[in-house]
Formats: sequence, structure tokens, C-alpha cells
Amino acid sequence: MNGALFRQTWRFQGVKLAVVSSALAVWGMFLPIIYARFGSQFRAVLESGLFPEQFARFGGGDIFSLPGSLALSFIHPIAIILTAVFSVGFSAGAIAGERQRGTLEVALARPISRRGFYLTLFAAAFGFVAVTVASLMAGGIAGSLFAGVIGEIAVRNLPLLWLNGVLLFGSFTAVGLAASASFDRLPPALGLTIGIVVVMYFFDVLGSLWPAAEVLQPYSLFHYLKPKAILVGDGSLLDPAVLAAVIVAATAWALVVFPRRDLAAPS
Amino acid sequence: MYAITTAGLTKHYGRGPLPVPLPFLAVSAPRVRALDSLDIAVRAGEIFGFLGPNGAGKSTTIRLLLGYLHPTAGAGSILGLDIVRDSVAIRRRIGYLPGGIALYDSLTGEQLLSYLADLSGRPPVRRADLCERLELSATTLRRLVRDYSRGMRQKIGIVQALQHDPELAILDEPTEGLDPLMQRAFYQILDTLKAEGRTIFFSSHVLSEVERVCDRVAIIRRGRLVAMEDIAGLLARHKRNVNMRLSGPPPRLDGVAGVSGIETSDGRLSCRVEGDIRPFLAAIVGAPIADLTIEPAHLEEAFLEFYEDAAS
Repeated sequence: MNGALFRQTWRFQGVKLAVVSSALAVWGMFLPIIYARFGSQFRAVLESGLFPEQFARFGGGDIFSLPGSLALSFIHPIAIILTAVFSVGFSAGAIAGERQRGTLEVALARPISRRGFYLTLFAAAFGFVAVTVASLMAGGIAGSLFAGVIGEIAVRNLPLLWLNGVLLFGSFTAVGLAASASFDRLPPALGLTIGIVVVMYFFDVLGSLWPAAEVLQPYSLFHYLKPKAILVGDGSLLDPAVLAAVIVAATAWALVVFPRRDLAAPS
Repeated sequence: MYAITTAGLTKHYGRGPLPVPLPFLAVSAPRVRALDSLDIAVRAGEIFGFLGPNGAGKSTTIRLLLGYLHPTAGAGSILGLDIVRDSVAIRRRIGYLPGGIALYDSLTGEQLLSYLADLSGRPPVRRADLCERLELSATTLRRLVRDYSRGMRQKIGIVQALQHDPELAILDEPTEGLDPLMQRAFYQILDTLKAEGRTIFFSSHVLSEVERVCDRVAIIRRGRLVAMEDIAGLLARHKRNVNMRLSGPPPRLDGVAGVSGIETSDGRLSCRVEGDIRPFLAAIVGAPIADLTIEPAHLEEAFLEFYEDAAS
């Protein structure tokens, strides 16, 4: 860990982090209010048989209960895109982007090992993910308070939800950083990370909407975040363990590959 | 005491042809010899020039010394530390200016220098002096790096490499983009550093500046060391061009030590003189010389001569 690099990374990302966190908080606030205001009407529409039942289970979330609406706020594409600013964008560009721009030369001319450099960026990136997930949850809690429905969830389950959320987006961050440490240019690192996230998201959503595709869900990391189950007290510790294992594997890859790579002069 | 030594330092890229030819795998990465068994020794306190054309292996050598690349074979040490095992400890004690330096454009010059000093873990004790000499005013340093000209960026690059007063500075093409006045200011900085016992290792294409500032040079070509010696020795061995206008018969120069390429026509004589000039001067005593020009040896010619010799 290098303190100067850590502080500067946070400074560089400060404005972006504030914007993304605010947007996530607003988004998180939105769904509990929708649930409180229109939840019963949506349920009536669904029970009328106009729409298939699966539409009410999009990614394990719904708008007929507070846990369901909070779960939906986590796995909705809007939340995924906003959190991906750091879990994908920052992580994939952290090393490959600096390498492409040529600034990695200057940073690594300082007394900092490549492993130290990687681990510092890893810590900074996890900090960003932790803040963004906390902002999303803070928005959800604020929305629930505003709508007067906060009593429908057990507050003691929120830390596990936060941890599980951080581990999910943290696993994408670890994959992005591993890709970043493996390529000399940003496009392959970014493309690989986006590809992994999109395919996994597709697997999970498809499995939630189409029973025949449920077999694909265990291959998606999104499958290992079940916000509704956690909020109703049915969370499994196996889910965070799987995500933690992915983080450890991706980090181990990067810590082996990055120090061994030849860093030729930037073109 | 040596600041830098390398012994058989070698860097090859690519895997080369497969040991057993496989018909279904027709293409294999060609093996490129970027550096081949380089042996150099840079003395502590000297200014050492590292010369060679593009692709000769200069940057590869620097990148091996700094741990960006891993050697295929051989070893090296900087300030007594192993370049592979002790890379972080080495970088604590050196300053590095990369060729064509890229900087963090979203920072001001001042923020950038402070950030890089923080990363170095050493106070920027020379920054104020360097900025003054290179005419980087406080107003300039408050501007964003993205607004800097190429010359300004190079000045910032020089300051970041030297601001923490390193024992050894490794500078890749340091005067690239500097105007003549700033080049002179830079040479004066080098003189100061040398007087204070610091070691400078720098690569350059600009032979006149190497001649001006360096104590010794190494010349590298196609990854191999062609020569390494004192500037003075290099120039002394180089042939001088001599032209004389005569008012009578030409002096007899055949067989005079160091004299070659004698040509006479229309009352003029030209030749080349290598090494000790005294035998030549003794041979022309009493000759009817109306005018005499002896062009001093320049590193550029010595450099080119090395290349011609190596090529042949």
C-alpha cells in the first residue's frame, strides 16, 4: 500500500464518486416511494393476468414489497450502470489506462513495487465500491423513511446486504483490475470486463424470467447477491463466500502476472 | 566505486522458432535481440552519455536497469544494489526522466510535482532551485499540465526527476523540446550536480551536447556495445581534416605516422590526421604553406566512424 498513490487516486476520482454516489442515492430513494405509492396497484395489475408472473421477479426484485423494491434497486440496469463506473470503468483503466497514456512510467519510477501499486489501486477501488453501494442503500433507507414504510424491513439485515453488495461489485472490480494488469491498452481490458458483466447479467436475468434458463444462473456472479432474501433474514453466507473466492482468485492472478510482465516503452 | 554496472545484460523478445517444427503452427514469434550481453560500468560522480540510433537498445537498457523489463540473461547493479532483486530500493535513490514523458494532464504543474515527490517519499529539496533555473514561475506551475507546451512538459519532467536530489539521475533524451537557452540552463544544472558528486546517466541523439557535458560515453548499436571510453580519448583517436594552400611544392607526407588520405591538386593539399599530431607538424615544417586549416574532431564524426566500422 502506498499512501500517496491512494490519496491521489481518491482525489482524481472525487468528483466522479460524488456524482455517481448522489445518482445512486436518488435512484435508491425512488423505488421504495414507488412501492409505497403504487405497489398495491401494480400487484392488482399483475394478479389480473395481463402480464406473465415472471415479470414480477425481475432479477429477484419486485415492487410489491419493501424488500423486493430495495432488491430491484440493486439489480436494475440503472444501478448496474452507475456502479459500473467504478467496478468496471475505473478498475479496467487503473493500470492499462495509465500504461496506454504513458503515466505508469512516471509512477513506477518511484519506490513502489508493482504489487504495492496494484494493491493500492485495489484498496482505492474497493473504497469506491463500498461508498457507491452505501449510497444506494442510504437512498433506499431515506426513501423508506420518507414513504413511512421503513418498519417493513429489519435494519439488522442491512450490514449483510451492504457487505454482499460490495462483494458482488467488488468481484467485478477485481476482475477489471486483473484484466487491467494483464493488458497494455485500455480497450482489451475494458472490453473483457464489460463482456463478463454483460454476459453474467444476461444469464441471471434470463434465468429469473425463464425457468428453463435457471441452469445458467449459478454461472453468473449476480446470482450470489439476493437482496430480498437477505432483507427478510434468509440470506446465505455461501453467497458472499463465492464472491470472496472470485475476488481472491482474480487478485491472485493479478499479483502473479503484473510483477512478471515486461513493460516495454509506451508507443 | 561504480554507480551502474552491467555484466552480460541481455534482453530477447519472442520465443523464436519452435524446437520441433509443427506444420499446423506455421508462424512463431520471431526472437528479437533487443540487447546482447551488455557490459558497462558508470563511475560514481561522472556524467555518462549513452549513444545510439533509434532501436539500438538504449531505452531497453534503461528499462532493464529500472525494472520495467526483466533480463533474459546477465546481471546489473545500481548503487551496489541488484537491478532485479532490489528494484524498489534502487528507485528510492534515483531520479528518472523517461523519453517523451507523459504527465497527468488534469493536475497543475505544482500538484504534479508534489504528488510525484510524495510518491518518491523524499522531500523536494531541489525543486525551487530547478524551477528558477528552468524559468518555471509560480504562475506557470499553477496552470494545468494539459495547457503546457512540449518544452514546458520537458522542464517539468526534468524537475520531477531531480527535485528529490537523487544520488543517480537516469535521463532519456533530456533536452528534447528545450530551446537553446533552456538547454544551456540544463547543462548548468548538470554541472552543479556533478560538482556535488551526483552521477548522471543520459541517453541522447544530440552528439554536441554529449560532447559538451559528458565525461565518458558508451556507444551501442543493434543491442551491442560498440565502444565505451572517455570523450577526450574518443576525440583524440578521431581523424582531423587538414587543408592547406601552397605557394610551392607540397611537403612529403607519405609514411608520416597518423596521416592518411593525402590528395593534392591546384596548389592545394588535403589529408586526414589521426592521433598524435606532432609527427604531422614536424613533417610540414619549412613547407611553402600559404594557408592551413585543421578542423577539430567532433564526436559526430567519431560516432559515425564507429558505426561505419561496426557495419563493415
